[in-house]
Formats: sequence, structure tokens, C-alpha cells
Amino acid sequence: MRTPSAGRARTPVDPTMRNGEPLLRVDGLSLSYRKGDGRLPVLDQIRFDVQEREFLALVGPSGCGKTTLLKLIAGLVQPTAGEIHLGGKRVKRPSRNVGFVFQEPTLMGWRTVEANVTLPLELDGGNRKRAREEAQALLDLVRLTGFEDVYPAQLSGGMAQRVALARALVHDPQLLLLDEPFGALDALTRERMGRELLRIWQARRKTVVMVTHSVPEAVLLADRVLVLGPRPASIIAEVPVNLPRPRTEGMQETPACSQVARRVREALEQVGLQ
Amino acid sequence: MGRKQLTRIGLTLISFGVFLAVWQAVVHLGGYPAFILPPPQAVAQRLVSLVASGTLWRHVQVTLKEILAGLALGAVSATVLGYLLAHSPVAERLLTPYIVASQSVPTVAIAPLLVIWFGTGLLSKVLVCALIVFFPILVNTVVGLRSVSQNLRDLMRTLQANRWQMLWMLEVPAALPTLLAGLKVGATLAVIGAVVGEFVASDRGVGYLLKQGQQLYDTPLIFVGIGTLVVMAQALYGIVALAERGLLRWQKH
Ligand SMILES: Nc1ncnc2c1ncn2[C@@H]1O[C@H](COP(=O)(O)OP(=O)(O)OP(=O)(O)O)[C@@H](O)[C@H]1O
Ligand SMILES: [Mg+2]
Repeated sequence: MRTPSAGRARTPVDPTMRNGEPLLRVDGLSLSYRKGDGRLPVLDQIRFDVQEREFLALVGPSGCGKTTLLKLIAGLVQPTAGEIHLGGKRVKRPSRNVGFVFQEPTLMGWRTVEANVTLPLELDGGNRKRAREEAQALLDLVRLTGFEDVYPAQLSGGMAQRVALARALVHDPQLLLLDEPFGALDALTRERMGRELLRIWQARRKTVVMVTHSVPEAVLLADRVLVLGPRPASIIAEVPVNLPRPRTEGMQETPACSQVARRVREALEQVGLQ
Repeated sequence: MGRKQLTRIGLTLISFGVFLAVWQAVVHLGGYPAFILPPPQAVAQRLVSLVASGTLWRHVQVTLKEILAGLALGAVSATVLGYLLAHSPVAERLLTPYIVASQSVPTVAIAPLLVIWFGTGLLSKVLVCALIVFFPILVNTVVGLRSVSQNLRDLMRTLQANRWQMLWMLEVPAALPTLLAGLKVGATLAVIGAVVGEFVASDRGVGYLLKQGQQLYDTPLIFVGIGTLVVMAQALYGIVALAERGLLRWQKH
């Protein structure tokens, strides 16, 4: 499934797909939460597109509204203004077109690893045997073979997030939303998980929007990095990552890569971060 | 049976033996008459005669029926109302003041009223039981449902789970530890409820035996009655605890 990509332009879109329409279109999106008598503005006029099979990274200061943005895209929260279109259709409510990996480990403690992964298929009333086969294939992919019958309480943080990733992929959604999936992990595990995600993404080639705090992680994985400003967040910079694919972690040492990382950091510094 | 379990049973037996010995010593040294404090063997004899004639079992059955029916009624209605309160802010705002106020009325004080309204039979006792177990189970239901992680709710929503799936695949299992804790408390309270109901008006049941014992100065009978109630409460508690252990195995490592 790998696509040749060396030296390709900013939008890694396959032109045969939907006449170049982006898979995700976020247009003039604003949101404020109710807070006491007034309102707390969180997002301000956010506008961006994501092409099919693109990997988009979002970075921004803590508390600026990144999670809120992903929840809006998933249809879990309704915007105050603006629209979101996914696959050409307006997002009005949650739909199975997205797979969500939450910032905190979010597994059902009473279900085994395998039963957690098959949950999306069970809810759809699918064939049990097929669901188990799908789950098995994904557990192999995230390297958790042999942990099928284990309960989440026995997993490390990194393992739990890999289960969550497998669960987000199992119903084959159009779009994968990753909310700082490795944010709660220690630095070493986090680096390893970044490499794992790269491998998994290269195997499955989903369209991904990922929130992260780690600039190296964003640069290693993404086709494009959007930098959000402090709350109420708007997009203050857009940095394309023109590194060839398939990527390897060795690339993180290359000048091209550090240049991209520098541009992201400069944008973050502008808003008084890092 | 493991070594640990044997030691535990041994210790229980020893402490029971010590208890009997102290009891005997108090009776002996104090020189109390049997209607004030009967010696252990008098109570044992009374127990044997009550068991042999089938009297005890007949009364236990009555009380047990009241307890189980009351517990079921109280638990089901409290869980349903708890679900409503946890999901509907309107219902919560409307009902909470009444529920809280109703808690300052001691159930024991309502029992005579229930007997007037619903007769001296099974129903009034079942209602006392149900009332007494209602509140702790209600509170636990609300707390349990509120504690369900918002992320898991959001996850289920993105998977377009319907209300029914939300209930059975998320809310019930997530709230189960709290629900069972409420049921454990309810099980012991139900025993109290049944006895209170029987005290007010009855012609059968363990509470009736206690009243008989008092009127006839048959103190050994009262002791047998108290012992029976303790065993019943312990057994009910044990059954829920056992169910808990089976259902919540996933919590353990
Ligand atoms: N349901 C809600 N109701 C009211 N305010 C909320 C709600 N959810 C989030 N907020 C507020 O909105 C702001 C943005 O929150 P959000 O979780 O989206 O930020 P974030 O960028 O994901 O933060 P972090 O980096 O800590 O994950 C915060 O100030 C938060 O307190
Ligand atoms: Mg967040």
C-alpha cells in the first residue's frame, strides 16, 4: 500500500480520489464554552483541509483547545460557528467515520484486551468470528500478540494506548483522530511509540489528525504541522514537512528535518512557548 | 483447603470458644437468673427444641420472604430512579429536595402507618424493607453512573451506540462496583426492615418470636432470635460479596 512519495508536493493526495476534494474540511470554526454567566472562547475561526491519506499534526500550547478541536471534528461537540465536512458530508453528530484515541487511556476495564478491540464491531452487530480475526490482525500490528485475554489493569501505559489504537482502527474509519496518544508516557517509551506509530501508519495509510506536544514526533510522522496559538486558538503557522516516505527515524538527524523542526519551534516561540 | 484458610477457621473457632467461656463466666460469677441472662447451654437447648419442632424454620421462612421481596422491590425502584436522576437534570432538580427530606423521616416511624394502610400481612413488611434499603441503593446508583468516564461515553457515542448498548455495555459494568456496594449495605438493612415491620404487627416471623420471648420472659428464645437474625444478615451479605467477587474479577491483578 505504500505510495511513492519522494519529493512530492505539500498535498499528498491521490488525484483519482474524489476529484481532489479534501477528506476533511474545517471552515471558519469557532467555539466557546459556557462558563458561569459568560462564555469562554476556545477556538477562533479555525480553517484547514486534510487530504485523503494525509497525516496532519497539531501542536499548540496546553489548554488552547486542541482536544476540543478533535471533539468537534468527531461530532462530539457542536461548534458555535463554522462547519466541518468529512467525506463531503457535513458533520452534525458523532459517526463511525472516525476512530478516536483519547489523551488519557480509555479502555473498558471489565473487558479483555481482545474484547476492547472488538467493541466497535460488536456495537455494529457484526459477525463475531470475523471481529476476532480483525482484532487479532490489529493486535499483531500493534505488537500485542499473546495479550488477548489480559485485562487492562495489567497493561502498561504504552500497551494500553496501543490497544486503544487497535480499537480505533478496527472498524476501518475514514479518519483517525489521535489526541496526544503518547502524552502520558515517559520520554523513552514515547519515542518508541512514535516509531511504532510510524510503522503502523505506513502499513495502514489512514488519514490522521494527531495532536502532539512533541515537535520531533510531529516532524517524524506528519506531512504537515499546524501550529495553534494560545486560547482562543487560531492557526498561527502551517509548516509542510517535505521529507520523503517511507520515513525512518534516522531522518531525524538530517538537515531537512531539523530545518522543519526549527520552523515549528520558531512559530511556537512567537506565541511565547518553549 | 489451603493452610491459610485452615488457620482462619481455627482462629474463628477459638474466638467463638472464648466468647462462650466469657459468657458462661459472667452468668456464673454474676449469679444472674436465667430470664435476665441465660447460660449458653440454655440457649442451645432452646435452639435445638425450636429447630426440632420446625418452629424456627417456619418463622425464618416468613422473614426471609419479606426480606427478599423488600430488597428486590427497593433495589429495583432505587436503581430505576437513580438512572433517571443521573440522566435527567430536570428530574434531579424536581425530586432531590423530596428525596433528601424523606431521609430525615425515620423509616421506623412510618412502619405503623404502613400497617394501617396495607394490613398486617406480608405487604406492609415488604414495604418497610423496601423503604429502608431504598436510599443507600439510590445514592450508590447515582454515584456509580456519574463516575462513568466521559471519555468512554464519548467513545461509545463515536461508535453510535444506542441507549440500550450504552446502558448494558458501558453504564452497568462501569457502575457495577458501586451498585454492588450499595446492595451489600441494602442486604443487611433489609433484615432490620423486616424485623421492624414484624415488631409493629405480626403473628409470625423472627421479629414475632422476639416479641413472644419478651412477653413470656423467655430470654433464651430472644437470644435464639437475635442469633438467627445475625446469621441471616451475614448470609445475605456473604451472597452479595460472593457475587461481587465473581463479577469484579477484572479489577484484581
Ligand atoms: N466541556 C467543557 N466545558 C467547559 N469548558 C471546557 C470543556 N472542555 C474544555 N474546556 C476548557 O476549554 C479549554 C480548552 O480545553 P482543551 O481540553 O480543548 O485544551 P487542550 O489544548 O486539549 O489542552 P491540553 O494540552 O491540556 O490537553 C480549557 O480552558 C478547558 O478548561
Ligand atoms: Mg487535550
